[in-house]
Amino acid sequence: MNRKKQFTEGLITNNPVLVQQIGMCATMAITTTLFNGIGMGLSVLIILTCCNVVISAIRKIIPGEIRLAIFVVVIAGFVTIVDMLLKAFVPALSEALGVFIPLIVVNCIIIGRAEAFCQKMPVKDSFFDGIFQGLGYTCVLIVMCVVRELLGSGRFGGGLIDVANGFRFTLDGTGAGIQIFPESYGASIMTLPFGGFLTLGLLIAAMQYALKKAEDKKAKKAEEKKEAEK
Amino acid sequence: MNKIVKLALVLFAVSAIVAGVLGVVNELTYPVIDAQKQAKTAAAFASVLQADRFELIDFSNPDFPTVQTVHKAEGAGYVVTSTFSGAQGNITLAVGVDNDFKCTGISVIEHSETSGLGANAASTGEVGVNFRKQFVGQDESIALSNAGGSIDALTGATITSRAITEAVATSILAVESLS
Amino acid sequence: MNEKNERMIFDVTYQPQVRTVRDTQRIMLDVIIATLPIVGFGVYRFGWHALLLVVSSMAGCVFFEWAYRRLLKKSITIDDLSAAVTGLLLVMVLPPQTPVWMAVIGDFFAIVIVKQLYGGIGKNFLNPALAGRAFLTASYSGVLTVVMIDGVTSATPLGYLYGDSPMPYTLAQSFFGAIPGSIGEISSFAILAGAAYLIARKVIRWRIPLSVIGTVFAVSFLGGHAGYGRFEWALQNVCAGGVMFTGIFMATDYATSPVTISGQIIYGIGIGLLTMLIRYFGGYAEGCSYAILIMNLCTWAIDKACHRRQFGVSRSDFLAQKTAGKNAKKEAVS
Repeated sequence: MNRKKQFTEGLITNNPVLVQQIGMCATMAITTTLFNGIGMGLSVLIILTCCNVVISAIRKIIPGEIRLAIFVVVIAGFVTIVDMLLKAFVPALSEALGVFIPLIVVNCIIIGRAEAFCQKMPVKDSFFDGIFQGLGYTCVLIVMCVVRELLGSGRFGGGLIDVANGFRFTLDGTGAGIQIFPESYGASIMTLPFGGFLTLGLLIAAMQYALKKAEDKKAKKAEEKKEAEK
Repeated sequence: MNKIVKLALVLFAVSAIVAGVLGVVNELTYPVIDAQKQAKTAAAFASVLQADRFELIDFSNPDFPTVQTVHKAEGAGYVVTSTFSGAQGNITLAVGVDNDFKCTGISVIEHSETSGLGANAASTGEVGVNFRKQFVGQDESIALSNAGGSIDALTGATITSRAITEAVATSILAVESLS
Repeated sequence: MNEKNERMIFDVTYQPQVRTVRDTQRIMLDVIIATLPIVGFGVYRFGWHALLLVVSSMAGCVFFEWAYRRLLKKSITIDDLSAAVTGLLLVMVLPPQTPVWMAVIGDFFAIVIVKQLYGGIGKNFLNPALAGRAFLTASYSGVLTVVMIDGVTSATPLGYLYGDSPMPYTLAQSFFGAIPGSIGEISSFAILAGAAYLIARKVIRWRIPLSVIGTVFAVSFLGGHAGYGRFEWALQNVCAGGVMFTGIFMATDYATSPVTISGQIIYGIGIGLLTMLIRYFGGYAEGCSYAILIMNLCTWAIDKACHRRQFGVSRSDFLAQKTAGKNAKKEAVS
């Protein structure tokens, strides 16, 4: 398979959140600080890639009748491992994301990719599919976090960046982030679920608009080409 | 029949492998997670009462349904954790009480109050610190200022403030009931 | 207050209908005229900052509407004055200490998100001004849930009514506006003057305001409160909060209220009931703006339920038609 095509599909044309519109629950719930967004995105990326590889590797020996049950067992296994590792080594992230890490089990992105892609494709393709779809998810989370955090509390990189004693990255979630304008000016509703719905809705609209425009352009070009050939 | 047995066996094998892997990971991470949990509770306790050691004591008094645990610190006093309903959901609060039944400090361990209003009760910012400071030195007659007491409610979060104030009073009474 | 009928609608008519020169612009101008006594009283009570808020909010709304429609290459609709009215009404339901920048953020939300994203005038399903207020209250609750006059925080009359301490304001003070509160909500007297003008100009009908205010009066009269006489309690509930202003100027928004007569009365009663439910049992002292927003969301269903009968069709024919339609639907399903 064409890696470049897989890459653009994962990030843009078949983006899990903005185009396939799956995995939206966590997307709206946790995108309040950059720390949460990157943490959640990377967790999903790792789980997705592992699940894709394992499911693709055993695709020939799992009977079709019980494939969904096996997918769920494999996914739940990886999610629990990641959950335990986060609790042990990045407790701040585990606390901030709360129930949304265990809930990755029922995140449609993972079971959706297993069903739609990995059970038919070789391991190598599945591996890259996991990476690129995971990256697409992470990118959307990051954009949403940046927008909501900035509008909601006037900050950038909360939990992740510490500027109190010089610029440094923190992994324990204690960094205050860069205050771009005073917090009292931020519309705190943007960090509440309402802000998630609003931001996601506007992002999807913008994405669809851009995709449609690109498609129109392509069609026009093809037509012109046809005409020229005539 | 044969087919069903085969399906069951495959599913069992997959589940067994996953369970085995999980067991190993749990073995590796459990001590770390446990140590962190204790450190967190210890930090909350230390912030409400100055003492070296906290000892869990038996407390089961049906008059205090919200009280979860009571820890005794020899010579210094007690720490009471209680869970009660705030404006949006349950709040878990640690209250330090000294031997004269005065509050020595409070710390919100868990909550789901409105961010920007009730959530300020737990915030590390100036508003939260000042709000919690008011409870130090209060006795069981504690009340909000609009009910004749001396605790100023958080702006726009009267319900949260009242719930916390009542919980502090309850915690002090619970300690009094011990002696 | 948004007008459904755009200017041209009256020109494409084939029935012998009454022709009118009233159009959106004229209606919106009437609303602005009707709010003049209220704005005047607000400025008298709260000083020049109130006037500054009104002017900047109106300018903000007009600018956002112009910018949005310009950016998306749509017809410019600012001269129908509906955006200006949104900005004006938004400020009327904000407390007097609101900073100007905050009002402008509310303008942005009201005009761009609530009004224009759904298609512009007449197509919004929420009252833009109230949605803007709800957005601001949720965002800047620390600043907007109190009322400050001359730098001193005062509890609102409703805070007293539903709080623990006794109400210091007499009924006359509540009625004429010697109370703290949002800029446009304090003087019931000025609001009634504006309402009289609007009803005389036939911009609004009496049904919605009367059913809102009547329900609030009836529920609080029946519900009562310890320490107050029933009449005093009910009248304070009507005059001291936002019921008067929002019931008359917000609930009557054409685009977001039902068009049928019975629907309008159901809608008004719903607003009154929800307001009193929030006051008695809710976390907020005042609830009429949320009550109106909730009823806005029900408007389509109310309109559907109270469908008007066609002219020239007898009742029996109408019922026969209805059952025939139902049967056809059933068949289509099965």
